[in-house]
Amino acid sequence: MTKEGVQGVTEEEQQAQSKKALKKQQKEAEKAAKKAEKQAKLAAEQQSTDEDDFAKDRYGVSVMVQSQQKLGKQCFLVLRQQQFNVQALVAVGDRASKQMVKFAANINKESIVDVEAVVRKVEQKIESCSQQDVELHIERIFVISQAEPRLPLQLEDAIRPDGEGEEEGRATVNQDTRLDNRVIDLRTTTSQAIFRLQSGVCQLFRDTLTKKGFVEIQTPKIISAASEGGANVFTVSYFKTSAYLAQSPQLYKQMCICADFDKVFCVGPVFRAEDSNTHRHLTEFVGLDIEMAFNYHYHEVIDSITDTMVQIFKGLRDNFQTEIQTVNKQFPSEPFKFLEPTLRLEYTEAVAMLHEAGVEMGDEDDLSTPNEKLLGRLVKEKYDTDFYVLDKYPLAVRPFYTMPDPNNPKYSNSYDMFMRGEEILSGAQRVHDPELLTERALHHQIDLEKIKSYIDSFRYGAPPHGGGGIGLERVCMLYLGLHNVRQTSMFPRDPKRLTP
Amino acid sequence: MPMFQVKPVCGGDVKIDLPTCMYKLPNVHAQQGNSCSSEHALQNGEVDPAVKVLEARQDEILRKLYELKAAVEGLAKTVNTPDADLDVTVSSSFSSQSSSSTMLKGSTDLDTLLGKDLGALRDIVINANPAQPPVTLLVLHSLLCQRYQVLSTVHVHSSVSNVSPQLLSCLGPRHPDSYARHLFQLGFTLIWKDVPKLEMKFSVRNMCPIEGEANVARFLFKLLAPYPSDHAAATLVDSWVDTAFFQLAEGSTKERAAVLRALNSALGRSTWTAGPEFSLADVACYCCVLRSGSAASVPANVQRWIKACENLGHFGPAKLLLQ
Repeated sequence: MTKEGVQGVTEEEQQAQSKKALKKQQKEAEKAAKKAEKQAKLAAEQQSTDEDDFAKDRYGVSVMVQSQQKLGKQCFLVLRQQQFNVQALVAVGDRASKQMVKFAANINKESIVDVEAVVRKVEQKIESCSQQDVELHIERIFVISQAEPRLPLQLEDAIRPDGEGEEEGRATVNQDTRLDNRVIDLRTTTSQAIFRLQSGVCQLFRDTLTKKGFVEIQTPKIISAASEGGANVFTVSYFKTSAYLAQSPQLYKQMCICADFDKVFCVGPVFRAEDSNTHRHLTEFVGLDIEMAFNYHYHEVIDSITDTMVQIFKGLRDNFQTEIQTVNKQFPSEPFKFLEPTLRLEYTEAVAMLHEAGVEMGDEDDLSTPNEKLLGRLVKEKYDTDFYVLDKYPLAVRPFYTMPDPNNPKYSNSYDMFMRGEEILSGAQRVHDPELLTERALHHQIDLEKIKSYIDSFRYGAPPHGGGGIGLERVCMLYLGLHNVRQTSMFPRDPKRLTP
Repeated sequence: MPMFQVKPVCGGDVKIDLPTCMYKLPNVHAQQGNSCSSEHALQNGEVDPAVKVLEARQDEILRKLYELKAAVEGLAKTVNTPDADLDVTVSSSFSSQSSSSTMLKGSTDLDTLLGKDLGALRDIVINANPAQPPVTLLVLHSLLCQRYQVLSTVHVHSSVSNVSPQLLSCLGPRHPDSYARHLFQLGFTLIWKDVPKLEMKFSVRNMCPIEGEANVARFLFKLLAPYPSDHAAATLVDSWVDTAFFQLAEGSTKERAAVLRALNSALGRSTWTAGPEFSLADVACYCCVLRSGSAASVPANVQRWIKACENLGHFGPAKLLLQ
């Protein structure tokens, strides 16, 4: 073709192009117009305005969206932060457009959002939230992290008390589901309260003991010999040989006392390979252990331990009432009562009380779990306390390292402490004389070779000492009146559960 | 001919002693030398003369003791009357052998009153409100300590936030043997608790709780001495106790004045409130008079009687607490 022809073609093309181009341009113009509109809207939203409300506040928080409800031109959201939640409102107006309301209504539950809003007082109390007298009027809302649309469990169900669920036909979540999806279950206000209280217990324990002059130690958990009897230890492979996970820091606590530390305590994990599937046993739990040397009588040790426990209870009573009330909403229970100084009964008195109540048991028998519970009820009836100490247990039912009672060979200088009728601490004065220790070990038919290093630690000067240990999860469970120790353990371990 | 010949292993003429008796037992009729001393009669009923002498000595000593006791009781009676010159308060605050322990006559046995001893400490638990300390019970506690071995403890319940140190030590210093509960006959546990009315618990299985300071005082007094066997006298004591707790302690000024007048006239007729013997009525009236605060402006007989009570020495802690 000649150039003209080509030109003609190009002209046509150009014309055709220009048509397309025109269309394109039109579309672009439309888009631009929309964009401009949106931008204008955003700009409008970004304008700061003066409200006549006295409760003017603007804050950006990273909150979770708990739930939404769309009602026509409005959308109600419940935003939650740890233990507290607040109602928020997105309404069509000069701040929010219809698209914004739709967007808010479609945010998946449990997503993390960034919100800018105005705090307003409400006339009617909002019953369903913890902050009952205010609500947020949202002006900006952005999603930081989106949650999946289908959640394995719903938080409203997780927080519903068991009785209520059955009555109204609504679901409650059972324990296994909770434990399998622990990350979501821990978000409930009840769980948040429980674990904050547990943190408080640990902190009060440390503070009280440090004030009394105790030194905190960390003991090894991989040990070469089973400390308390051998049957219930976990074995780990240790290079070419095997080692055990510590059942209790007993051995090392005592070595510290022999190393002239006078008063020590330690907070750390304890591993017990007991195949017990009960409401109060875990295979791994946090042990709070105390050991101290005393000057005249082992009651100094009991007084020290009970005073620490009473200070913990007082601290919880005075500073953690919000948490206790939150837990009580889902798991109602009686408040925890105690006496100061702590009530101390002797084993013979306990046996007499049980005999009076019609229980048959010998003077030197150990207390079975139902008897312990009954005794707890009897003590509660007479003295109105949930916490007490039982002193002078019979020697036959205690481990070999317990010091016998000098005045009565049938009994020993050992004690147990109970909360709400369940045992939380087993302690005693320890035998600090290597000859007596050897004799007691032989009496219990224990292989001396296995505990040789233990006995040797007392050969170079050992003061008389005693102590005991409590389980953090069990103490929290009993203080709050809960029924299963897995509720107070963040990621519980028992014979059937290894994850999460 | 034999195949092998072996030398004889042992001689053929060993004499063997065959026993004639199959089993041998120790002689059951033989007298045991160092065994339990309760067995002192020989098989034929005769008593060892040495033991007889011992028994006679023991009887003699017991007789002497009884005579001494009677003499001391007589002395105590003369001392305890209001016009004695001897001031007992100084010497008898915590000495356990003061003569005033015998002023409460009549024998009482803990087993009959409180039930069979089950081998454990009999603990009396009293829940009191720190806003209204039970002063009569403190006096009775002091009397109980004279009579029995009492383990006293004070506790603060978790329903009360703090209690003054005076209330914490109102039962006196800690007993040195308090680490061994089984050494005591009676336990007295005072718990400061937020209760509307004072209550006492003893045996939760067999007894319901006792409410009210007057009633607990009656229970505790029965552990010290029985009520007068004469019904009229017993009723008089009871009526004075009630008057003290209702009108004297909680009544209006007019009622209190009326009671003080009645007390005055009663004391004009006899040494103590309800007759010639010291009784629960005196304890109750003394504490309520002091608690009402009108101890300074009382009639003459009542003043004299107050001094007599204080002479007995058990009202010291009460007075201290009410100041």
